[in-house]
Amino acid sequence: MGTSYIYKRDASRLFIALRENGKRFKIYIPKESKPVINSVERDIDFVEQEDLNYIFDWNGKRFHCELVSRDQNKAVIKVNGVEYRYSLESIFSYIRRGMINNPDKQLNENNIVAPMPGKIVDIFLSEGDLVNEGEPILSLEAMKMQNEISANCNGVIRKIRVQTGQSVMKDELLVEITSIDV
Amino acid sequence: MKKRLLIANRSEIAIRIIRSAHKLGLLAVVFQSDKEPDALYLKYADEIIPARDAANDKPIFLDAERIVKFALEHNIDLIHPGYGFLSENPDFAALCVANDINFIGPSPELIRDMGLKTVAKSMAIKAGLPLVPGSDGPVTDAKSAKEYADKIGYPVILKASAGGGGRGMRIVEKPETIERNFKSASDEALSAFGNGDMFIEKYLQNPKHIEFQIMGDKHGNVIHLGERECSLQRKHQKILEEAPSASVSATMRQEMGDMAVRFAKSIGYYSAGTIEYILDEDGSFYFMEMNTRIQVEHPVTEMITGVDLVDWQIKVALGEKLTIKQEDIKINGWAIECRVNTEDPQNRFSPQTGFIDRIHFPLSENIRIETGVVSGSVVTPYFDSMIAKIIVHGKDRADVIEKTLFALYEFSLIGLKTTVPFCRAVLNHSEFLSAKYTTRWVDQVYDPEMLENEEDEMIGALAATIMYASEYLQLSSDTPTYKSDSLNVWVLNKRLNY
Repeated sequence: MGTSYIYKRDASRLFIALRENGKRFKIYIPKESKPVINSVERDIDFVEQEDLNYIFDWNGKRFHCELVSRDQNKAVIKVNGVEYRYSLESIFSYIRRGMINNPDKQLNENNIVAPMPGKIVDIFLSEGDLVNEGEPILSLEAMKMQNEISANCNGVIRKIRVQTGQSVMKDELLVEITSIDV
Repeated sequence: MKKRLLIANRSEIAIRIIRSAHKLGLLAVVFQSDKEPDALYLKYADEIIPARDAANDKPIFLDAERIVKFALEHNIDLIHPGYGFLSENPDFAALCVANDINFIGPSPELIRDMGLKTVAKSMAIKAGLPLVPGSDGPVTDAKSAKEYADKIGYPVILKASAGGGGRGMRIVEKPETIERNFKSASDEALSAFGNGDMFIEKYLQNPKHIEFQIMGDKHGNVIHLGERECSLQRKHQKILEEAPSASVSATMRQEMGDMAVRFAKSIGYYSAGTIEYILDEDGSFYFMEMNTRIQVEHPVTEMITGVDLVDWQIKVALGEKLTIKQEDIKINGWAIECRVNTEDPQNRFSPQTGFIDRIHFPLSENIRIETGVVSGSVVTPYFDSMIAKIIVHGKDRADVIEKTLFALYEFSLIGLKTTVPFCRAVLNHSEFLSAKYTTRWVDQVYDPEMLENEEDEMIGALAATIMYASEYLQLSSDTPTYKSDSLNVWVLNKRLNY
């Protein structure tokens, strides 16, 4: 992968903002640190909030944002006097909408199975966490060796089928990941 | 006893006039219109006359007889009409004069003459001013139209002599189509205005609007204060002005300015006035009309000349002699004015009315703000949409463009949309930077997409997401089944979305 791990796990904080012109922004709103937009952490300062008006500073410029209207998940925001329309959704509804629009194409479910029989000794992540391909999810002990089982794609951990201390057979389902191509 | 000056106007220009009145030791009296009883300008006045115009169709500012009646009741010495409303209404000026009230402006006769385009043009010809080549009077048939057009040279424009609003108007590029175009335009004019007579004129492809500020006293002295370029217009209304103009050389300035002064002197003009020229690409210029009022864009001239035009309007009305000589007028740097109109530049400049939740103006030594509103003001549908002007002074054109852009980024208004983003787009556009822009820029070049930029778009997406997310995450934690360590987001999400 090469890129540093920037999403702080919680997939429910990852959103898609789509403009009418088709432009798509993938936005991660962390609890405390700077926002991540299109996979880059941005040094944006949150200056002020009054009602639904925000002021940001970024790149030495000031941005006055005002919520003009909101209808369900559609929002019109005035930025420095100019209106932009977005439709917003969580990463989950984004994925599901992809399924509905494309019924033939099965949702990209990636199952991770145990490569060998063994015992789960540690689980590093939780359901709903974002993972990057190659990132360890759990540790499986087999023949006195600890093996890290890693994600096979970028995505969200949909289901963890095992618990710490549980013994598993070869090819037993461990984790289900929904891959996200955003 | 202090002289009493009544301002028959509102908003920023009323405040502007009050400032001059106070400087000159006059008492400023204004009307309180029921159409905007909490207007900002009322706070600056010494006396307020309640106009009680709620039941009237027209606001007090358009009601000449009531204005004069009130003026007499309140012992008014002078009336300043501002711009718009009755400022160029000769009957109003005459009514003031007839009632011994000093009307701040030229004589009613000259207001009338300058208001009649044909009269103004014939007076201009007498003073030796060039006019756009065209037919001297109405043309009634296609044959003579062609003769005129051949003489003037193509392209030409045909205009209904009774017309307006683009009807009965044709631009003709070549001799082969003149007769056909004349017939169709004339028919259109006949059905629209009941008169098929046409004017024919040389059509300037890339015209610029250049106007010269003049000031005259009642003793025959007239000076000019250089030009303003007001080519940037939408719906024939100016929106951004600069002074001086990059398209006017020093020689042209002298020639056009001298001509303006000569014209004003020839007609016996006093007070502030503006001579409008149309400037062709090749540098030739033609007299268009004369405005007999203070103009909205007068501050750009004040910024570069240091002369207070409204002060002088009042002093001239009081009979004072102009103490500034032509040679005293020096142009210092460059100035730009951006009009802040509550209009939507993303939607054909449609007017916006309602509350100004919050307004913030840029502050700096080189910035002058003229505003008729503050946070909490209401923009009503009764008056025009201009709420403020941002005027910036710089040492040269490049400097003032940069400073103005900076100022416009500092400006913010919550509640309504304004022309400020439009002004930013203009100031960033290559045709403005090269000073090649013409009066057709908005129609031919402007595209609302110019208002957008990638940074704003991305920050907007962030703001929208934060608003959505805070609600979304709030909802998640309010859901009773939610347990942060065992949350099955898929289930939760299903509940939220279906």
